[in-house]
Formats: sequence, structure tokens, C-alpha cells
Amino acid sequence: MISRGSLPRWLTSEHPLPWLFPVTSLLVVFGLYPVLYSLWLSFYKRNPATRKEKFLPSWNWNKLISDDRVWDAVEITLTYVVIALVLQLVLGMLIALLLDTDRKGFGVMRALMTLPLVVPPAVTGMMFLLMYDSSFGVISNSLYALNLLSPSAPILGTSSTALWGVIVADVWQWTPFMVLIMLAGLRALPREPFEAASIDGASGIQSFFYLTLPMMSKIIALAILIRGIDLFRIFDYVKVMTDSGPGTATETLTAYAGTVYFKTANFPYASTVALATLIVVLVVSSVFIKVFKIKF
Amino acid sequence: MASVKISNLQKRYGNIEVLHELDLDVADGRFIVLLGPSGCGKSTLLRMIAGLESVTSGDILFDGKRMNDVHAKDRNIAMVFQNYALYAHMSVRKNMAFSMRLNKTDKKTIDEKVNWASSILGLDEYLDRLPKELSGGQRQRVAMGRAIVRDPEVFLFDEPLSNLDAKLRVQMRTEIKDLHQRLNTTTVYVTHDQIEAMTMADEVVIMRDGYIEQSGTPMEIYDHPNNLFVAQFIGSPSMNILECEVAGQGASSVAVCKGVTLPLPLERSFSTGSKIHYGIRPEHLQISKKSAMHDSAGDQSSLSATVRVVEPTGPEIHVYASLAGQDICAITRERLELQPGEEILLRPDISHVHLFDGETSNAL
Repeated sequence: MISRGSLPRWLTSEHPLPWLFPVTSLLVVFGLYPVLYSLWLSFYKRNPATRKEKFLPSWNWNKLISDDRVWDAVEITLTYVVIALVLQLVLGMLIALLLDTDRKGFGVMRALMTLPLVVPPAVTGMMFLLMYDSSFGVISNSLYALNLLSPSAPILGTSSTALWGVIVADVWQWTPFMVLIMLAGLRALPREPFEAASIDGASGIQSFFYLTLPMMSKIIALAILIRGIDLFRIFDYVKVMTDSGPGTATETLTAYAGTVYFKTANFPYASTVALATLIVVLVVSSVFIKVFKIKF
Repeated sequence: MASVKISNLQKRYGNIEVLHELDLDVADGRFIVLLGPSGCGKSTLLRMIAGLESVTSGDILFDGKRMNDVHAKDRNIAMVFQNYALYAHMSVRKNMAFSMRLNKTDKKTIDEKVNWASSILGLDEYLDRLPKELSGGQRQRVAMGRAIVRDPEVFLFDEPLSNLDAKLRVQMRTEIKDLHQRLNTTTVYVTHDQIEAMTMADEVVIMRDGYIEQSGTPMEIYDHPNNLFVAQFIGSPSMNILECEVAGQGASSVAVCKGVTLPLPLERSFSTGSKIHYGIRPEHLQISKKSAMHDSAGDQSSLSATVRVVEPTGPEIHVYASLAGQDICAITRERLELQPGEEILLRPDISHVHLFDGETSNAL
């Protein structure tokens, strides 16, 4: 047995270093290194003909700024994030409110609610692809029957509806996550202020807006942050369902980075677009954290 | 203000009956205290009056109007909760104004009422603070402020002082009583603290296991407990109870407890051999030091006991002693120098003896 005295202090459990080492090393290898490598790559100009790379630090970044497809992708990404987030938030809260009860059977309902979360996103994409199919898809056929859509304009094949089609799949899969967070928040709220409010004359809806929402504000903000960041990285649904199409109608930033990487093999520029996504996420989430005074 | 009438009120949770056909009348403007140990159903009863718990059977009437199916928000009551139940994200001002904002009272009236309440409760300088920036006593006052601005028919208090320290509790007790005297609103107050009940109530209702054991003015209950439970529950230190058997006949009958003979009131008659609980409050036992004089006099009405613990409280001294193997407490205002192990004489004041049936525990 090694006595404690024989080890230098920074290697003993009294020092933070041994505790931090495993997770720090994982973060360095799988988080920091790829980011730094991407950054390094983005400083090179790649010649597609010769496949040679040349150190030109501003080349890709200038290209990024003048690339209309990037700006379109930023717009599509933001639209996607905002719509999906609002839908998931509202639906998540409504479902959580319905499930926030001790009545018999609701425990099972709460458990069943989480089922969509275990389906891999690519499978969800495939599933919705089938349901949107204009000849036998249940969703498409229902919408045709209700005269809300025409078979001549398939959901994923029409630029005005394709993004909505992808968003629905995302909402189906990720609303349960919001429900879980909201339920945890709702179940932890103290009961007495609500009783006091009902004695003060508040109706259920007034209690929700005057008490539940303000008391849940930190949890809601955190849920928005977690889901928001995740939504910015949207790739699988787009790849499986529309492959950025029709045209570039559903091309998000990550999808564009993927296209640049796999279709043109311009690795430095693909890295630059990917880094641009990271920058957008960092800026948006920092502003959000600042505005909503979120503390970790 | 309203009178509150409870008749045949029953509450069940599944198969468990927690309140058993209770009847209670609270006259308009009265301050009544529901007192009892934990789990006796007093808070449940209060919450039923508030409309926070449903009624299984029976009626709750405010001024003769049936309230069973009226929602809490429409009962025009105000309630102060044990843990204050303040709205944590609202300032003191907004907490107090909340009910008026809901019923769309104009801003001028809201300001007037909030200022009136805050001046009564000494909260003027805290109006713009959040509850978390206040001390326990201040929070409790905000909860009371929130209740009084409503000008309710009935005030309900659910153990409002139990989270406060002893000194603050005494202070708030006086404030609540003072407030009731000023506003004269019908009040139902729940507590497990008998001192609170005794000091504040016009009428005390003692509950146990979902039944009302006795109700009456504090002094009625103290002086004439209906049964053994009430006798022991009210009073601190609680009444001494000795299990005895009646010996002798007529005027010469005495109670015998493990060889110790205790005097019985002359005007009462008891059947020989009957079992009784002999109750005497600590302040009705006169303590004297055992001296040679006493010994020789052979005083029949005095009981010899051995001091176990002496607790000086300032105004009086509590003496815990052992009498024929039973613990007994006596209180004296004399400055007696007593030591543990010392022999003392206790003389019960015969006019204040409480006797209870050995089997039913009811007062004889």
C-alpha cells in the first residue's frame, strides 16, 4: 500500500487536480482540440484543382461574409430555432400542466410521454418522411382530405412548407424533453402561494400568469437555453428528410457546412462555416444568459 | 364580518375519517382558537372553512349561507399561512395589493389600503423589498397585511407564529390580538401552542383525533376541564394526575394512591373502591420544607415527596418531585432554597382538585 505521505500533494484526493483530470482530458480531446483544429484549418485556402492548401488567414472568413448562402442559412436556422423553440415551449408547458397531478394513472402517462426521446433522430426523420409521403402518408392524406394542402404541392417538396415539415418532426421528438423539465419545475413549486392566491381571489388562469410563470422563469430560461443551443445544431432531420431542399429552402448552417465538407471537400471553408455556427450560438446564448440573469 | 357555523362536518380521505361530525358556532366578531396536538384535524377543519379542502358531508355556513360548494376565491376570507406563503417574486407592496389588483380596485384605493395596512403593521419602510429581504417576523407581518387589506368576512390563521423565535412570537401574539380588537373581524386561529390559545382566544376549541373534546372560554377550560385529555393538554407544566382508589365512606372518604392518602372534596360522595384519576395543577400544591416541627405535628393533609429537579423560571420555581414513585410537579412563588434529594411537603388545595372517572376519563 502506498502511504499518503509518499505522494506529492497535487496527486492526492485533497487537491482538486485528480478530480478534475478525467473530465478535463475528455473535454480537451473531444471539445477543445477539434475547435482549435477547425480554427487552424479555417486559416488555409484550399485549391480544389490541386488539392493544395495555403496559409491565408482571412480568405475563408472574407468568403463567409460575402457568401449569400451563408446568410440564407443563418436566416433559415434562426427561423427554425425560433419556431421550433416556441412550439416546444408552449406545448411542453401545456402538457406539463396537464400531467402535473397526483391522480391515478398519470404516473404512467408521464413515463409514456418520454417515449419519443428514445427514438434516434434519423429514425424520426424517416418516420415523418413516410407520414408525409404524398401517396400513402397519413399526415399528407389527412391534410389533403381537409383541403388544407393539395397533392400537387407535397409538404417536403414545396419551399414554403418544407421547413415546417422538418420542424414538426423536431417538435414531436423534443417536446417531451420540455415536458420533463417543466414538470420537474412545476412539481417543485410550493403549494401554499397558490392556495394564498386562490383565497386572494385568483382564478386558475390568473394564478398561472401571476404565479406559475414568474416562479418558473429561471427553469423556463434554462430550458430555452438547453433546447435553443441544441436546435442551432439541427442536422439529422434536414439531412434525412429534405437534404437541404427543395433547392436550399431548408439549408441550415450545419447542413451547409456538411454540404461544403462532403460535396466539395473544401475542408477549410467547411470548418469556417461550422465555426460561424458556433459563434452565432455563443453570441445568442450569451445575450440570453445576460438578459435573463441565469446563474449556473 | 360574518358568523361561522359548522354542522355535522365530516372529512374522509378514502377510508380514513379524519373529522367526525363536528359542530361549531363562531359568533360574529369572535376570536376562536382551534387547539390540539398534531394530527388532530384542526388544520384540516380550517382549510375546509377556507375552501381549500372539500367537504365530505355536513355544512359550513357563513351568516347562514351554505359555503360547501363556494370556491375559496368567492368566500371573502383571508388566511395567514404557517410558512407565510408570500409571493416570492413580488415586493411587499405588490404582495399586499395582489387581491385588490385581481378584482380591479382603482390604484388610489389600493395605495390607501396598502399604506394603511403597512402603517398598522410597521412595514412602511419595507414596502419595496422582496420577501427574501425580510426577517421572519416582518414576513409574517406582510402575510397579515395581505390579509387585512381585503377587509374579509373571516380571518383564518394556520399556526402563523410557529416559525418565529420565542420573543417574536410573544410580540406578534399581542399584535394579532390588538389587530382583532381594532378590526373586530371573526377569526379562526389554529395552533398547537396552548399559551397562544389561552392568551388570544375569546373561545378555545380543543380537538383530538378529529373530535371536539371541549370548547369554552380559556378560563372555563382551564378551571373546568371536561376530561383527562383536556386537563393534561391545557396548562404548563401540565396537571399532575395520580391514579387512585377511593377508600372510606361519606365525609371520611379519601383517595389512596400507592399508599399515599389524598384528601377528597367533602361535598362530593364516592363509592368505595372506585378507581379515579386525581388531578391537581402544580400551582395548587403548596410547597414547604420538611422540618422537625412538621414531623412532630404529623400534618395529615400534607404529602411527603422527594425533590428531583428544581427549575427556577424567574417569577416562580417549578419543583419536580417524586411522590410514592410517581412524578409530580409543584410551583411556588416563594424563594425556597431546594436541593435535589431533599424531602419536602406538598399540601394540595382541596378546592382545586379535579377528579376524573378511572374508566371513562370524564370529569366527575
